[in-house]
Amino acid sequence: MNRRNVFAVFEMLFWPAIGIFSVGLLTRFLNLTEETVTFILIGAICMNTIQIAQLDLSYALLYSVWSKSLKHEFIAPIRLGHILLGAGLMGLIRGFLVFLVMAVMSVAFFDMELSRPGAGGLALLLAGMFINAAIIGAVVLALVLRFGQRAEVAAWAFSYLMLLLCGLYYPISVLPAAVQVLAQFIPLTYFLEYFRHFYGFPLHFGRPLLYGFSLSVLYILISYAVLLFTLRSAFRRGILLRLSE
Amino acid sequence: MQPAIFAEGIGKSYRERMLGPRKAVLREVDLEVIPGAIFGVLGPNGAGKTTLISILATLLHPDTGAARVLGLDVVKEAGKLRQRINLAAAGAHFLWCLSVEENLRFYGRLYGLGGRALTAKVEGLLDLFQLREQRRVLFEHLSTGLKQRLMLAKALINDPELLFLDEPTSGLDQDMAQHIREEILRLNRKTGLTILLTTHNLREAEMLCSEVGFLKEGRLAARGSIPDLQRRLGLGDHLSLIFRDSPAPLEYARLPGVLAHRIQEARVDLVLDRAEIRLAAILEAVAHAGHELAQVKVKPMDLEEIYREVTH
Repeated sequence: MNRRNVFAVFEMLFWPAIGIFSVGLLTRFLNLTEETVTFILIGAICMNTIQIAQLDLSYALLYSVWSKSLKHEFIAPIRLGHILLGAGLMGLIRGFLVFLVMAVMSVAFFDMELSRPGAGGLALLLAGMFINAAIIGAVVLALVLRFGQRAEVAAWAFSYLMLLLCGLYYPISVLPAAVQVLAQFIPLTYFLEYFRHFYGFPLHFGRPLLYGFSLSVLYILISYAVLLFTLRSAFRRGILLRLSE
Repeated sequence: MQPAIFAEGIGKSYRERMLGPRKAVLREVDLEVIPGAIFGVLGPNGAGKTTLISILATLLHPDTGAARVLGLDVVKEAGKLRQRINLAAAGAHFLWCLSVEENLRFYGRLYGLGGRALTAKVEGLLDLFQLREQRRVLFEHLSTGLKQRLMLAKALINDPELLFLDEPTSGLDQDMAQHIREEILRLNRKTGLTILLTTHNLREAEMLCSEVGFLKEGRLAARGSIPDLQRRLGLGDHLSLIFRDSPAPLEYARLPGVLAHRIQEARVDLVLDRAEIRLAAILEAVAHAGHELAQVKVKPMDLEEIYREVTH
């Protein structure tokens, strides 16, 4: 599908490139230190990687909703796990490619320094990003199964709001106190904190990896349960049929 | 013999708006379809045909009652059942950015087909539904008729034992509709494929169905073979005797096979159980009475009459 979908190419190359160049040029204009440039650019990379990875998960149903073929997919003997695994793997591959493209651009054009946290630090950040993408994707899928196409905009708005709260381009400490409380409930906050502390930025929360992974596991379980419940409800309420009309 | 479909007390209702009252779409529907049959579900719009077919095809859970298809519970054993059934519905919708062949391959993979088996299956279906020329055409560029043919091809991708057809020839031109009907019959006869179909086209039901059921306001108002329903509802073939002067003075109600009669001036209209076996005896009785006939008209009973009788 992606071969023929010009938007897929835009999603993977055009928008990430625009993101890196606009943020990168801003850092150059502000004449920031190498550490701060990395702080900001890793935020831009995170946002695009997560968006692409979660989109693939959402597309598992959205393509069928857009083409009104949902009932033909669900009359086939596939389980929710098959859909999530297949779409999740595609999201992982596309998300990783976007990460690579953006990271190479950032290093080549804006002197970002990625090697300081080492391969382990980078791998942990990637794991955190993909787990967050999976959580957002599962929530979007549940919303689409419950509210149909109307949910798309709300779903993506929700993911951007989450990225805003987790301190994508700034430290959590600059957020208002009440919002900082909300940021504590977002796993990505901890993974970004962990990665950035290698560049000399102080940790706002202790044990970021423990909290990041614990919250991630909890949210993964909750979002899967919600998705399963929503799917059963869709079979009861005839939503699959309504979305196929 | 285990029925291919056994449904008991199926009920389904929906809320039209949140917190609004529930509207019953199906009420206490019982249904039994024997293996190898082509069963037609008929009824006016909103009678619950698509809801019933969706429940039996595992796409919708009933509120009350239970159904077993091919011996498997449609809710609890839906996963296993889906391997053995398939569905084609009117208003074909598939992934718009895939070609005819890619769509078939996509659905084949959902049923676990791959490699040479998938290629052979896809090629066979492209031939069967005359889609070879359009194999590389994107779904969004197909005509309604071609989309419908692709829909039927997809419904056979997993060699189902039971096929649900929801208005299968809707939107097709006459030739293609006829070709599809013949194909449905051929499949049924050759492979013993059980088919449950909904249709608005009563001629189609007459041609295809060994048994029909009429849904009215969510209830199965009548079911049976066409001759069986005709007997039960007192419907039959129409015989009109138009005399030159006045009608023969006969006790028409006592003539063999007469279910109803009406005399209007020189014309006598009879409803017969089976015109082809009663006609000779009736004409003989009329001739014996010595009244000359100007015209004799026979109109075979059709499903439309049963439909009108049951659904109105």
